[in-house]
Amino acid sequence: MPPRKAIDDARGLLRRIGLELAFLEPGQGIAPLAELVASLPAALGANATPEIHRAVDQAADWVSAAGASSLERFGAWHAWMEEAVTAWERDQPMPAWPTPLDNPSERPASLEPGEPPQPSPQPSPQPVAVTRSARPLLDEMAECQPVAVLPEGFDEELMRMFCVEAEELLAEIEAGVLVLEQSPEDAGMLATVFRGFHTLKGNAAVMKLVVLQRLAHELESLLDAARQGRRQLDRPAIDVILAAADVISRYVAETSRQLDGVDTGRSISLPVPALIAQVHAVLATPPAPAAPAVATPPPAAMAPVPPAGVDSSSSAEPPAAAPMIISDLPASSPPKQSVASDPASRQRSAAPTGSSVRVDTHKLDGLVDLVGELVIAQSMVFEAFETSGGDESLSRSLGQLRGITADLQRTAMAMRMIPIRGTFQKMSRLVRDVAVQLGKEIRLVVEGEDTELDRTVIEEIGDPLVHMVRNAADHGIESPAARLTANKSPAGTITLQAFHQGGFVVIRIADDGRGLDPERIRRKAVERGLIPADSTIDDREALELIFAPGFSTAEQVTDVSGRGVGMDVVRRNIERVRGKVEIESVPGRGSCFTISMPLTLAIIEGLIVAVAGQRFVIPTLSVRESFRPHLESITTVHGRGELVDVRGRQVPLLRLSRHLGIQGGEEAADRGIVVVLEAGYDCRCLLVDELVGKQEVVIKGLGETFTGRSGFAGAAILGDGRVSLILDTTALVRLGRGSSETAA
Amino acid sequence: MNHIPIQNHPVDVGSTLAQPGKYLTFAVAGEMYGVPVLAVREIIRLCPITPVAHMPSHVRGVINLRGRVIPLIDLRVRFGLSAGADHDRTCIIVAQVAAAAGGSRPYAIVVDGVEEVIGFTTDDIVPPPDFGLAVDTRFITGMARQGSRITTLVDLDAVAATDRLPEAS
Repeated sequence: MPPRKAIDDARGLLRRIGLELAFLEPGQGIAPLAELVASLPAALGANATPEIHRAVDQAADWVSAAGASSLERFGAWHAWMEEAVTAWERDQPMPAWPTPLDNPSERPASLEPGEPPQPSPQPSPQPVAVTRSARPLLDEMAECQPVAVLPEGFDEELMRMFCVEAEELLAEIEAGVLVLEQSPEDAGMLATVFRGFHTLKGNAAVMKLVVLQRLAHELESLLDAARQGRRQLDRPAIDVILAAADVISRYVAETSRQLDGVDTGRSISLPVPALIAQVHAVLATPPAPAAPAVATPPPAAMAPVPPAGVDSSSSAEPPAAAPMIISDLPASSPPKQSVASDPASRQRSAAPTGSSVRVDTHKLDGLVDLVGELVIAQSMVFEAFETSGGDESLSRSLGQLRGITADLQRTAMAMRMIPIRGTFQKMSRLVRDVAVQLGKEIRLVVEGEDTELDRTVIEEIGDPLVHMVRNAADHGIESPAARLTANKSPAGTITLQAFHQGGFVVIRIADDGRGLDPERIRRKAVERGLIPADSTIDDREALELIFAPGFSTAEQVTDVSGRGVGMDVVRRNIERVRGKVEIESVPGRGSCFTISMPLTLAIIEGLIVAVAGQRFVIPTLSVRESFRPHLESITTVHGRGELVDVRGRQVPLLRLSRHLGIQGGEEAADRGIVVVLEAGYDCRCLLVDELVGKQEVVIKGLGETFTGRSGFAGAAILGDGRVSLILDTTALVRLGRGSSETAA
Repeated sequence: MNHIPIQNHPVDVGSTLAQPGKYLTFAVAGEMYGVPVLAVREIIRLCPITPVAHMPSHVRGVINLRGRVIPLIDLRVRFGLSAGADHDRTCIIVAQVAAAAGGSRPYAIVVDGVEEVIGFTTDDIVPPPDFGLAVDTRFITGMARQGSRITTLVDLDAVAATDRLPEAS
């Protein structure tokens, strides 16, 4: 009996090799693949069958050949290896070596990056157990498939619709597959995913996208087999389905890009033959028994589950297990590693029924703009009316007009709002992939997916959210072993919440992982020269340092989240939509990031201030407080400017009149008003002549002429029709601290 | 006015020679200029201008045009001519210029008075001379002559595109 550990380790490696193969493209480095292959001998130990050892040597040879090796070979090799390991485990005879791989000493054509792939001399290899004859389809396809993206004579409108529908189908497929991973017998979900590929296939056929059609067809067959009980969806099956969905997604994305005129005519390289080979392999091999020894991290559970550490591993028993129809499996059904809550609550909230219409976003934006202008015009009429004395009946009519305009504005804004569900769903897959890749157990809890945000805001925060969730999974949550040592449950939890609060949308990302250590951050900051060695910043300020450019506390830069994108970019993206992000963290217990953003980009609540008669708008989100200062609270530091005492904290003072070069402003500070601005944990005091009022303003862009030049975030039209500039408070707060934004 | 040499040299102009057609003519610091009438959205009286700090001096600020905030440029300063005070004939021409991302955007210029719309034929239009003109030839698409008057034809797209740079000397 071969050692359990060897089998499990080998299987784990093979699984990761499978994933690598699915994403490998010609010309791309195969170092990760090489590394995995190199780990096989150690994992297998000395006692694997001679055939297995030979196969592993073979792969090692290929990998060490100059350049990349043909993907087909690896596809077939991989399929054989999986079969062989299973046979070894069960003490059964080794499967026959696939004919196309018969000449172990023959070196395959090597591909240099950039070289078009050479057709291999043999027909496309078929994994051994495939009983159907080599399909002509496979032969026709070029090796490593450079796929033309837009077929001859396509109709642009139809193609665009195809892309939109394909994206929706793929999202459904992915969500469905993640559920199936938890409960492979969910008939409803199997049907949904099957239909997804079936529809994709049909649509692709209509649009004459032959390669896509073939790939969808293969996946449809696999799902059909699952649906009919002929093939259970185990890890390799799930992996190949997800890999195929990703490839199709990439293809659709490229199609969209080319439709928009980018890189038109370029063909895209997709590992379709390898994928198809893998699908066949999966179909051919019986599913591996879902042995508990294989550390299967429970993937993301989509259902809203009450947080506060409810460890819902209570459903450890398989729910009234459907009998498995695969005849060569042992009689007992393997226990399900399910951490998901019961099927009833797993049902995703159904999309609200009711008809809908597709509207061109330009038209929608145009409408929203017009409504904005209507609001301004209406307030100008109102103002003129007020100043000219009031006629009773006119006043009533104007009041009515005002009410209708307000409603119209609310409706227009609402049209731009979409639920954050789509963004949160992406996280599900992300967390699962990271957990699998790093061997961790991570539970994702999602709340408030129905919360609606402005379309543009969702687009802008998508990337920051992905980055933060990835960070939490990669660096935050510890490995199961480490967690056990720390007296925590082996599965870590990441919680994503979204809700409305006041006029804002709040998104929270919390994890119960290792938390952020202010001491380590301080040390790193000193190392990177961000703060002086004798700096006395407190713990809260230390946490803010992770947002400084060029900072990363990752000990090893894993390929999951260490690459390039820093928290500084994250914060900048969030601030671009006038949001702010705050951190809380307890070392050993976890971290929580809270993002708050205004509900809509178009309107903000602003504080109107005046300097020498000129009025400016300051977004109230950035205002902490305002007051009339006493002369004693202001100190002048030679060479550094003025400081104001704000509740014991010395905050630098900026005179707005001086900053903007406006003459005639109030010179005496104690006759002006100090407005305390904040950006993150940083503060600045702004001295103005007076506070004029507070009101909601519609934000207008300043346009190309001013892009990047002025220190203003936009313009607003006040009731008297005059334009008033909106201050870029983030730039003002960070002025002179070496940040990239500058107002001067 | 006859001392401005009008010759048919090919001159290094930023854009091609002005096309024949209808032009709106206007005065700036005593000289006549023109832009294609199709580029003109409207003409308005001088209205409240909100200055924008830290911009080159030819950018007078922004104005509110029916709810839209658009930049206002002083052509006198832009062309490096003697800047004058606003007077009762001063008005604003709102034009459309090319936007960097494609399409067009509104662009307002302050002028010393609008004259009339004139149709210039191919014979009327000649390339600008390579010297002797007060204005940087980057901004000029040609000279038009009708009778005794000479109109300098302006390329507003070029003017708008170079807004970020210091004004023409």
